Amino acid sequence: MLKVEVKKRYSSFELDVKFEVKPNTYTILLGPSGAGKSLTLKIIAGFEKPDQGDIAFNGINLTQLPPENREIVYLPQGLGLFPHMTVRQNLEFSFKCKGKKTEKSLLNKIINEFGLKNLLEKKPRELSGGEKQRVALARAILATPKVLLLDEPLSSLDFDLKVRLIKFLKEIHKKFDLTVLHVTHDPFEAVSLGEEILLIENGKITSPENSQTLKDFFNLMNNLKNFHLLL
Amino acid sequence: MKQSSATKFSGILGFLCLAFVLAPILHIFIKLSAEKLIETIQDREVWEAIFTSLWGALWATILGCLLGVPLAYFLSRVEFKGKTLIESIVNLPVAIPHVAAGIALLSLFNPRTSVGKFFSFFHITFTDTIYGIIIAMLFVSLSFIVGAAITGFNSVEEELEMVSRSLGASPTYTFWHITLPLAFPAILRGAVLAFARSLSEVGALLVLAYYPKTAPVLMLDRFEQYGLNAARPVTALVILVSLIVFFTLFYLSKKYAKS
Repeated sequence: MLKVEVKKRYSSFELDVKFEVKPNTYTILLGPSGAGKSLTLKIIAGFEKPDQGDIAFNGINLTQLPPENREIVYLPQGLGLFPHMTVRQNLEFSFKCKGKKTEKSLLNKIINEFGLKNLLEKKPRELSGGEKQRVALARAILATPKVLLLDEPLSSLDFDLKVRLIKFLKEIHKKFDLTVLHVTHDPFEAVSLGEEILLIENGKITSPENSQTLKDFFNLMNNLKNFHLLL
Repeated sequence: MKQSSATKFSGILGFLCLAFVLAPILHIFIKLSAEKLIETIQDREVWEAIFTSLWGALWATILGCLLGVPLAYFLSRVEFKGKTLIESIVNLPVAIPHVAAGIALLSLFNPRTSVGKFFSFFHITFTDTIYGIIIAMLFVSLSFIVGAAITGFNSVEEELEMVSRSLGASPTYTFWHITLPLAFPAILRGAVLAFARSLSEVGALLVLAYYPKTAPVLMLDRFEQYGLNAARPVTALVILVSLIVFFTLFYLSKKYAKS
């Protein structure tokens, strides 16, 4: 269980969140731009220090640990594939960076599972958007994280690819028993993927009845319905 | 495609600009007799001067990278008060006359100062030695490396370093395997420019280390002692060697950046 209870203050913004991410669940943190979603992930990953509060995993306080010792993998919106390395080198990085020998059986399993066999010698710039997503996710899973943090991973994709990747994310979540915290501003993504959905607005976790994001979403749905009736 | 008058005008001015750079260099070769060139190729002093220049420039570039790259990384990653001032200090050698740089270096590194005495303890003196040549070249070329390396480090997305750390890499591992390789093409370009700048240095060397003579000092020496006709073949040979070295390095750095 990942427990998050942190406060971080800036001159024009304050983050004050308290929530839990249950083991092996796909949790969504849904909120509009500027709500503090990415900042929350960066604090959990260890790239930002909270002014107050703690991050704990299974009762162990992680707050003072550097990112590399947290076993929490952070996948940013841009995916962070290393452009000077091939796909194979990107995947092997998860082992080598910790001074470990590449676990060939695990690597091959992931390569097959993610359909990366024909991409191994390519550089990230030669990959399509969907292929990049698959490589980044495969690399993250090879690091065997306790928690996988996904920062708007589908936001730059077109609708078709988004739908396919949602299906793919669901599959790998089940197959690898992952604990995922996925942040998004897209309610469609949230309801499609989330087993648990947390709402964040203005730096605070909010309830569904107070959520402007949900109100906007339902208004949009109503408008679409009316538009459909007019047609 | 039809070209606009602005494009044509830019093209004409661009041609004039290129002609201004190329014409004096070509003129040296046009005016050169084969006999004089062969004589110069067989001149041991000329080759010694060229070798001294290359050797000094190589060491100045290596030292420049060792000193300049860490400074550039620091300036690229750390925000602090007075950062602009530090960046200006690094660029100072570009702004001051090089004879003044030579005088300043001589003033600090001559054997009578405590700095000079400190180095004398290790049998290193700077007046009229290869060490003097190296520090003079280093002084005038360092800013090229620092500037290029800052650009290189700034171009590395912070996101990549974050991903590396979250996958389990230490900050040191991340620097050597992510940050430095990605910044390296820019650093290499800076190093090539610094090398070229070092090769062409003369002002500071005249004051600090006239001997052993570097190629530009020898050219000046021949010009002052025997006139333009005597200086021309040496100049042609030095230009030729410099261009070969510069273009080879430039080509290699481009090829590396592409790969």
